[in-house]
Amino acid sequence: MSQFRTPLKRALGLGSAKHGVHHFLVQRLTAIALIILGIWFVWFVLRLPGLDFDGARALLAAPWNALLMGLFVIAAFWHAQLGLQVVVEDYVHTHGWQLFLQVAIRFLCILGAAASVFAILRIALGR
Amino acid sequence: MSEFTLPQNSRITEGRHFPAAAGAKNVRTFRVYRWNPDDAANPRVDRYDVDLATCGPMVLDALIKIKNEIDPTVTFRRSCREGICGSCAMNIDGTNTLACTRAIEDLPAGDVKLYPLPHMPVVKDLVPDLTHFYAQLSSIRPWIRTETPPPPDRERLQSREDRAKLDGYYECILCACCSTACPSYWWNADRYLGPAILLQAYRWIVDSRDEDTGTRLDELEDPFKLYRCHTIMNCTRTCPKGLNPAKAIAETKKLLVERRA
Amino acid sequence: MASYTIQEHQVDVIVVGAGGAGLRATVGLAATGLETACITKVFPTRSHTVAAQGGISAALGNMGEDDWRFHFYDTVKGSDWLGDQDAIEYMCKNAPAAIIELEHYGVPFSRTEEGLIYQRPFGGMTTHFGKGTAQRTCAAADRTGHAILHTLYQQALKHDARFFIEYFALDLIFDADGACCGVLALDMNEGTLHLFRAHGVVLATGGYGRAYFSATSAHTCTGDGGGLALRAGLALQDMEFVQFHPTGIYGAGCLITEGVRGEGGYLTNGAGERFMERYAPNAKDLASRDVVSRAMTIEIREGRGVGEDKDHIFLNLQHLGADVLHEKLPGISESARIFAGVDVTRQPIPVLPTVHYNMGGVPTNYHGEVVQKVGEEAEKVVPGLFAIGEAGCVSVHGANRLGSNSLLDLVVFGRAVAQRCAETIRPRQPHRDLPSSATDAALDHFDRIRHANGSLPTAEIRLTMQRTMQADAAVFRTEKTLQEGCLKMDQVFASFADVRVSDRSLVWNSDLIETLELQNLLYNAVATINSAEQRHESRGAHAREDYPERDDQNWMKHTYVKVDPNGRCAFDYRPVHMHTMTSDVDVVPPQKRVY
Repeated sequence: MSQFRTPLKRALGLGSAKHGVHHFLVQRLTAIALIILGIWFVWFVLRLPGLDFDGARALLAAPWNALLMGLFVIAAFWHAQLGLQVVVEDYVHTHGWQLFLQVAIRFLCILGAAASVFAILRIALGR
Repeated sequence: MSEFTLPQNSRITEGRHFPAAAGAKNVRTFRVYRWNPDDAANPRVDRYDVDLATCGPMVLDALIKIKNEIDPTVTFRRSCREGICGSCAMNIDGTNTLACTRAIEDLPAGDVKLYPLPHMPVVKDLVPDLTHFYAQLSSIRPWIRTETPPPPDRERLQSREDRAKLDGYYECILCACCSTACPSYWWNADRYLGPAILLQAYRWIVDSRDEDTGTRLDELEDPFKLYRCHTIMNCTRTCPKGLNPAKAIAETKKLLVERRA
Repeated sequence: MASYTIQEHQVDVIVVGAGGAGLRATVGLAATGLETACITKVFPTRSHTVAAQGGISAALGNMGEDDWRFHFYDTVKGSDWLGDQDAIEYMCKNAPAAIIELEHYGVPFSRTEEGLIYQRPFGGMTTHFGKGTAQRTCAAADRTGHAILHTLYQQALKHDARFFIEYFALDLIFDADGACCGVLALDMNEGTLHLFRAHGVVLATGGYGRAYFSATSAHTCTGDGGGLALRAGLALQDMEFVQFHPTGIYGAGCLITEGVRGEGGYLTNGAGERFMERYAPNAKDLASRDVVSRAMTIEIREGRGVGEDKDHIFLNLQHLGADVLHEKLPGISESARIFAGVDVTRQPIPVLPTVHYNMGGVPTNYHGEVVQKVGEEAEKVVPGLFAIGEAGCVSVHGANRLGSNSLLDLVVFGRAVAQRCAETIRPRQPHRDLPSSATDAALDHFDRIRHANGSLPTAEIRLTMQRTMQADAAVFRTEKTLQEGCLKMDQVFASFADVRVSDRSLVWNSDLIETLELQNLLYNAVATINSAEQRHESRGAHAREDYPERDDQNWMKHTYVKVDPNGRCAFDYRPVHMHTMTSDVDVVPPQKRVY
């Protein structure tokens, strides 16, 4: 309980973490990357309906497409992790829950990104 | 985890109604949040019918008229009545502002709703407890910090351009309207400094006479102290002095990026 | 006897009030290592110093030739030769250092091209003993008081000063030898009583503008220090001198700084005439405040006012241009828009002389020590008690204060008090035992008002007092109005016995606080109107139509007034100090005062 602590003690808390600008920067950089990659991604998705399974595979396997798709999923998961981290920090105030959710979000985002990149590589480099 | 309903003893009930005297010409109803720590009762909203024909133009005038003529127990802070001391900050019809500079006739039609500044502990009626807000001000050590001693017999020099950089920041009256309008401050006031205090911090960061800029930036660079600001902009929208705390925060974030590049 | 639990605090010095003077004293005391506590009924930055606009005077000479001796001459002349010239010398000579110190504290003063503190002309401020116009008033746009007060609060935080915020001082406590040794105070937030024991008690409680109906003063300017002193049986000094500021906004009463006229603004009457040229051919709109207020009142009285009822005057500043207004007068542009609905770039501001400042107060020497007349000794120090700022009367302002000398008074004498306490009080000096009966009277007094159950609400008595003072102790005074006023004020004072406090709680009981404040106001108001009645001359802000001339033969003296619990006044006098502290400056002998 913090009720017997002085107001200044409570305001100072644990002091400054002296970081945060990296998170701020990466969140914005991934956002910019997603805007550019997002345009390519829309173009890519719009081409899919006219193709059968093999055609679609071939499209993704094309070097540029595979590269951009790889970058897109990395940026998306990275950005999602940063954003969800903030949401949890904002709204979840139970220490245990917060820790669990932060770890879970990171693991899931890394898992998602790794699985996606692995899938893209498999398609791009053949069976 | 988050709570979505108010605790039993916080639910607001309908209070008393004080009708205007017979013969009142221009009546407006003021719905005023009331809570007294001395009794066990829940907060309530009392309704006061005020004859605007015999009342000054501002919301504070109406509150004083209510206290003087209708119900002396209504409790609120006030002092300068000209928008410079910041005492009478409250939530008027859903907006945080100063009661002394908010004209009644500029308010949307209907009853005028007066509540204390949101999401603060209430001491009584419209008086919030600002202890933590003031402690946060102390926590940023808001005074000039220099190593170089000032010249012994004259002022430190400052160019007009550098002095102009303080405009829009040094005028803050610490009324707390902005901080208590910020959802991020509502959820994380224990760790987030809030727009008012961040504006105060920036006022010293941008002062050409201060030499502790780096330390000030170090002390702010924190996921909670500074980066809980999500550019919601309620602070700038609500500031009764027309200041722009969101800009002060954005400039601080820019400086933090700048010193890395 | 009521039973209350009292928490006792022992400190070296207790400062009552956290405006400019109180904070400057607190900062100085904390820096000297004396254990200091500052009790204040509002959070420090909400004190009324925050509303000071135009600036703070000091002969820095940043914007042209200047010398503190010119400032000294102007202040003596402004005081209409009622100011004590040794104290005025002390203030004017120490002014430049005090302002430099403020800058070093971080006050965001406006700047000149050379990077120095910007200074503007102000009323009554001249060079070469009345010949030229001085630019002496150091300004932070038109928010100088705000800039200074916030900076002083920051310095107080830096020095770890102890504040007791939203504590209301109830009564002074004296020991058996008549030395002031503490203050009894009410913590408004908790509703508990606290006894602050101290070797020095500094009253820095500000003025009592709210004794009048229309004042530039804040609602909290209720003369609490004067009330505390009078109730303790001490005399106040020069209470008849109440300054009317020429430019309060018509209706609202909010202040429009004299700096507007300093920057080139001027007054016009209903005929569009710049009438100040007739009243003050040299200084014109920058004559001292009493002169301008009287001129405006005469214009209105003779049917040359503006507006539908010809009952006010216009302050013109449209010609200054939007750039100057934006850079130098942004605050009053905002006030005029909000409270008069006026766009100052296009329209004049409707203004009226409005109660602004109390020259009178608790008498002190230039150390800030409270003095009283005891037997033949006109200025005997009351041990342990100090008063500074508007609550005190040094007297540097005499019968009329010059604009921008008030902020100076705060910092110079706030500093002086800190120095004096450092000289006379040893840190952690033990406190003498105080019999528990020492607080009985104060507790009794508090308990009586807390349970007051009469028939008159606080607001009703207050309104009658304000209307009486406004009508009968105004810019111009006559025997008839003053005598009527004294009689009415006697009744109002007596009616306080029948006051009713409706709120019976203790936490943040503002009904109770307003009632305690009303009592303080009543003491001050009675002292003021009775002092005015007995002074048969016109001097500075005290303008008697039946005695239109200054009478140095009989009245070049300070009034001491005591008020007994029944509201009866007793008078005494002391001579004006017609000597200086050093040979650095010559005494200014009385002359006819023309601007």
